[in-house]
Amino acid sequence: MGHSSVAGGSGAGLPPARPVRWSLARKVSLALVSILLFTQLMAAFFAYYKFESVYSSLVQSRYSFVVFTIKKRVEDNLNLGFALRQLRQVQEIIEREKSRDAQILAVEVYDFRGEVLFDTDRGAIGTKVADSLFEAIRTGSSQSLSFSVIDEDNLIVGLPLVNNLGKVEGGVVLRYPIAYVEKGLSGLMVQLSKSIAMAVAVFSVVAVLGLYILFGGVGRKLGSMEQTLTEVMSVGGQAIPEGGGDAFEERFAEFVAKTRETVDHIRDATEEVGRLDRLQ
Amino acid sequence: MAMTLDRTRPLFIRLLLLVLIVLVPPVAWVTIDAMAEFSQGLIPEMDKKAETIGRDLEASIERAVNFGIPLDKLEGMGEFFSPVLAANPEIRYLAVTDRKGNVLFMQGIDKASIESFYTSADFGEVDHAHKSILGPFIDMAQPLVTKAGRVGQVHVGTDQDYVRERLMEIAIDLAVVTLVALLIAVEILLFVVTFNITGPMRVVGTVIDKVRRGDFGFMAGVTSDDEVGRFVHGFNGAIRYADTLFRRLEAYLDEVKSAHFDPGVVEQVRDIESRVKFLFRFARTGQPETVNEHQATDIRLPLFLFVFAEEISRSFMPLYIRDLYAPIPGLSPEMVIGLPIALFMLVIALASPSAAMLANRVGARRVFLIGLVPATIGFVMSALAMSVYDLILWRMATALGYAFITMACQGYIAQVSHQQKRAQGLGVYVGAVLTASVCGTGFGGVLAERVGYRTTFWVAAILTIVTAVLIYRLLDSAQPNAETAAPRKREFLRLLRNWRFSVLVAFAAIPSKIALTGFLFFLVPLTLSQNPNIDLGDMARIMMAYPISVVLMSPLVARFADHVGWKAGLVAVGGLIGGAALVLPFFWEPVVVIPVSIWLLGISQGLSASPQLAMIPDLCWTECRIMGQTNVLAFLRLAERVGSFAGPLLAACFIPAYGYNGAIIALGVVVAGLASVFALLSFAYHAGPHIETEWGE
Repeated sequence: MGHSSVAGGSGAGLPPARPVRWSLARKVSLALVSILLFTQLMAAFFAYYKFESVYSSLVQSRYSFVVFTIKKRVEDNLNLGFALRQLRQVQEIIEREKSRDAQILAVEVYDFRGEVLFDTDRGAIGTKVADSLFEAIRTGSSQSLSFSVIDEDNLIVGLPLVNNLGKVEGGVVLRYPIAYVEKGLSGLMVQLSKSIAMAVAVFSVVAVLGLYILFGGVGRKLGSMEQTLTEVMSVGGQAIPEGGGDAFEERFAEFVAKTRETVDHIRDATEEVGRLDRLQ
Repeated sequence: MAMTLDRTRPLFIRLLLLVLIVLVPPVAWVTIDAMAEFSQGLIPEMDKKAETIGRDLEASIERAVNFGIPLDKLEGMGEFFSPVLAANPEIRYLAVTDRKGNVLFMQGIDKASIESFYTSADFGEVDHAHKSILGPFIDMAQPLVTKAGRVGQVHVGTDQDYVRERLMEIAIDLAVVTLVALLIAVEILLFVVTFNITGPMRVVGTVIDKVRRGDFGFMAGVTSDDEVGRFVHGFNGAIRYADTLFRRLEAYLDEVKSAHFDPGVVEQVRDIESRVKFLFRFARTGQPETVNEHQATDIRLPLFLFVFAEEISRSFMPLYIRDLYAPIPGLSPEMVIGLPIALFMLVIALASPSAAMLANRVGARRVFLIGLVPATIGFVMSALAMSVYDLILWRMATALGYAFITMACQGYIAQVSHQQKRAQGLGVYVGAVLTASVCGTGFGGVLAERVGYRTTFWVAAILTIVTAVLIYRLLDSAQPNAETAAPRKREFLRLLRNWRFSVLVAFAAIPSKIALTGFLFFLVPLTLSQNPNIDLGDMARIMMAYPISVVLMSPLVARFADHVGWKAGLVAVGGLIGGAALVLPFFWEPVVVIPVSIWLLGISQGLSASPQLAMIPDLCWTECRIMGQTNVLAFLRLAERVGSFAGPLLAACFIPAYGYNGAIIALGVVVAGLASVFALLSFAYHAGPHIETEWGE
């Protein structure tokens, strides 16, 4: 909005301009960058947990397969009529499976009372398994379902051992470290963190720049209108919208003209009253 | 498009473009990085699994061959392979080849498709696993070594698509996140623009128009500390300056009039006073009054957040209820699962009229804040629910809050929108609800899949608290006054004596709600959960189709209905499509057809919802004049909740007899039957306003 001066006027009498503490661009930047950050974090959250779920289930299914093969061999022997406690070759089977994979911490076979009969850690033979493992073979027995339990820093997968009469004789479990899964996930976590940091940094700059350009225009327009108002009120003249202006600016120009006219009129009226008052 | 300060659209479109640039590429960036890392991490683990399986098979086969059975004479290999393939879906085939690569045994795929590769490949004398890519498969070959030396290979083939499918799942999840983020960004930025710029500038515009007519009795009530606030400060300063000059003149005039000895002077002074007062108007209170213009958009963001919070549990609510199931004497398990959903709808229906009256009496802001109390308690306690008994109670509390809040919003919009802008105001309401529905349903399902049902309710409670803060901080405590008094209940009942209105309610509005709550809210989650391949995220994405199709259809249909004026016909067609959509599982597998049914249901609602409202002024011409159109529309919305209540219970009645699939079809038959009755009766509606005096009878 421009301004053309036509006549000198008295002092403006307008209040001093109020400082801008939080510019529009800053306000909207804060909102948009927050949304950007939120979106990136949510995207990373969903990507990470999807990967975590697929990866850990893949690792678990691999070890479940190992447990399944042990279960098959033990049950083949059970079906020959031997008692679980008597199957000496089970110790050899589980030790062979452990030796094949460095990540396997232990393989245990226990009976239906929860007593460990065979264990790759031979010192644990004769001890009792945790209640959760004991419960797992009781609840999952009928369907021969595999179960998984978290025990401190280890993940445990297991299967019940069922004889050919359908009776649960015990269970076989395999322990592997949570750290193994975490190590597999850490690469993604690091990569995601880097990507998010870079994306947020780059696009925050884009957002702030874009918003300063966009709202800079708004601010300039308002500033120019305010300046015109101040000038017209202080020195007189007319408010003329630049390039014709939009409907709002035209209305504002009329407002400026009307206000100036009113002020002039009241001032004239005041002077006239003063002149009459002085008449004796 | 030129940017005009007092209009939201031009500024918002520019902002929207910027939002797209700022939000979409970084999510794409993270997605691509995640997917690369994902496949890098997943493939070695799949190889290890294939090796483990291969090694086990190899050990068993070597044992048999070491007993003297020739490799090609082994029996029962099919039975040996089958359980392994069944337990490991990513393993597509298992095979045994001889030294030359001839396939001796194969299970999972046709051997002709890869035998040529085996015979031409050189497995050599390598004594460890050998990996190759065979078209869509990753083949892991392990040597079979017996006492007699190497006799062949065991092959384990994994599906390359397995990784690709998992990557696609991530991409879809992130697409949902991006869509939700974009919609949330739109809501927030729309609010930021209207609250900070266009709203205040509209107030300035109102004051400008008064000043242009010489009225200096008003100032813009804007106190922000941004560029707009600074401008308004100067703007108000000019008005205040004129006012101050006038006050001085007025005081001077009074002094001269009362003290001057010359009657001629006094007369002239009176003339000056009359002239100034004729030309300009100033506030009688001693200073200009502050103008604060309320707009329908004031309430949009809080409403969006609240509905978002409620919709978050949409995709899994029946599954959560099923997890908390406890028997209720006399009710089937399905009925117990349907009960919390039905009672939720019933409480909304019963509480809405009182909430609307309260909003008229004490103001929308207060009713909104009152409603947030039971809603928050409901969400928190739903997260902590022990069984279906207390869940029913907490869902009813949430419903009470929902009724208060939605009525407060509708009341606020009705109060701030002038008659000619009421449709626009209701558009703000419908827009916020539908957008929140898209976001809440999609986001809730994906979130619940990761963090569980209970945590998702906590998220809903937090969103409700954010809503409360927004309402408290942003909505003016001085509320606009109600335009009209709420009609009495007896007047509502008389409305039902208008047969056209009653037919519309009973055979169009109620059936569409039966389909919505019975099918979408109740049967869809239960039916889809039967399929182990569909997880919660998938379910939510499938259910998102409903609000999306309504959003896409409604504006088109509204324009079409205005253009052709065939409103009753559109309502009838919409109803019939809704019924037909539910009958589709009779012809195809539910898993395949349910997404189609949901899209069709959305189209059906999109087709019939707007024309239903648009018909009211014609159907209830007399009633609208007496009660007010808004009240008649509110009664229509209230009456249709009978269908919302009946839907889940009706569906629950059908399940024991017909199963989940049959219940959908049965519900479809009911909806289609009622819609057919409406289609037949709609021919008797005729066009134009019906001004019979049913009212006075």
